[in-house]
Amino acid sequence: MHGEYKMPGGKLVVADLEVRDGRLSQVQVSGDFFLEPESALEWIDNALNGQPADSDEQALAAHLKAALGERVSMYGISETAVARAVQRALGHTP
Amino acid sequence: MSRSRWSDYRWRLVHAPAQLPSLHMALDEVLTASVGAGRRAPTLRIWEWAAPAVIIGRYQSLRNEVDARAAQQHGIKVMRRISGGGAMFVEPGNTITYSLYAPAALVEGMSFQEAYAFLDAWVIEALRSMGIEASYQPLNDISSPLGKIAGAAQARRHGAVLHHVTMAYDIDAAKMLQVLRIGREKISDKGIASAAKRVDPLRSQTGLARAAVIERMIDTFRGLHGLADEPLKDRELDEAQTLAKSKFETPEWTGIVP
Repeated sequence: MHGEYKMPGGKLVVADLEVRDGRLSQVQVSGDFFLEPESALEWIDNALNGQPADSDEQALAAHLKAALGERVSMYGISETAVARAVQRALGHTP
Repeated sequence: MSRSRWSDYRWRLVHAPAQLPSLHMALDEVLTASVGAGRRAPTLRIWEWAAPAVIIGRYQSLRNEVDARAAQQHGIKVMRRISGGGAMFVEPGNTITYSLYAPAALVEGMSFQEAYAFLDAWVIEALRSMGIEASYQPLNDISSPLGKIAGAAQARRHGAVLHHVTMAYDIDAAKMLQVLRIGREKISDKGIASAAKRVDPLRSQTGLARAAVIERMIDTFRGLHGLADEPLKDRELDEAQTLAKSKFETPEWTGIVP
């Protein structure tokens, strides 16, 4: 499953994922955004794997924020933008 | 840590003859580390390209961004760089690319947006001296009223900031669009129909040869911040050549985000 979201004034966030037993799996977030440190992309993917596939955008964004904390700097991307790309991959939102 | 100033450093220039794309990727990593460790003074490096390439950002999906078959047909290597941002298409002579390697202290306390504007201010001045009404366009573009001129990317590593920029001098937009996949979602908030219109050649706006544009950029930097030649050291080049082979030329790295 594949979803894309371009944050207004920001960058493109792409989510590729599968759903297994009602949970997100094999999540791969990608795009032309900026992230520090480099390993933050892996942290994002790992945080999303296992989340209930019926989570709404707000819940996913809140989960990401809690998982990443203060150790990640983002530019052109936000937890909410990632959550929206995931929602689109799941076919949930416009 | 408190913020430093341009004038706190003795800036160095590296402008080597044409090198392979994988070596450029590796030099960015090696020189960022060298400057961070204090083994090299803060440096401006001008790139000369020995071969065409598509360079994708650290966080981009290889298959989403590149049409691998079209790239192969055109003899274009696909590389992944260490900074985020978008894909770029390069043929020798059609872009001007440069890197700045500076201690992180130079942009200490700045937002990303401020740091991009700050590290490209000298280029804006150079472009204006050539008659282009250039300005920094957040998040990471340099634009003129006629369109986008350049895209920048930064990465922070080892106490240093890497800031590199590719400027379109004379891009073959048709070929670029065959090789890069530029989706509709990406340009959804820009109100433009054709991705080809996003690349505005420096050549048409300055009427200058590529080498003359580069010379003006170097002169502008030198006038503002001082700049002395310091070619790559053997050790730096050896290290970069090893890293080009062990990392940047491997499918594991290029496909790290498949």
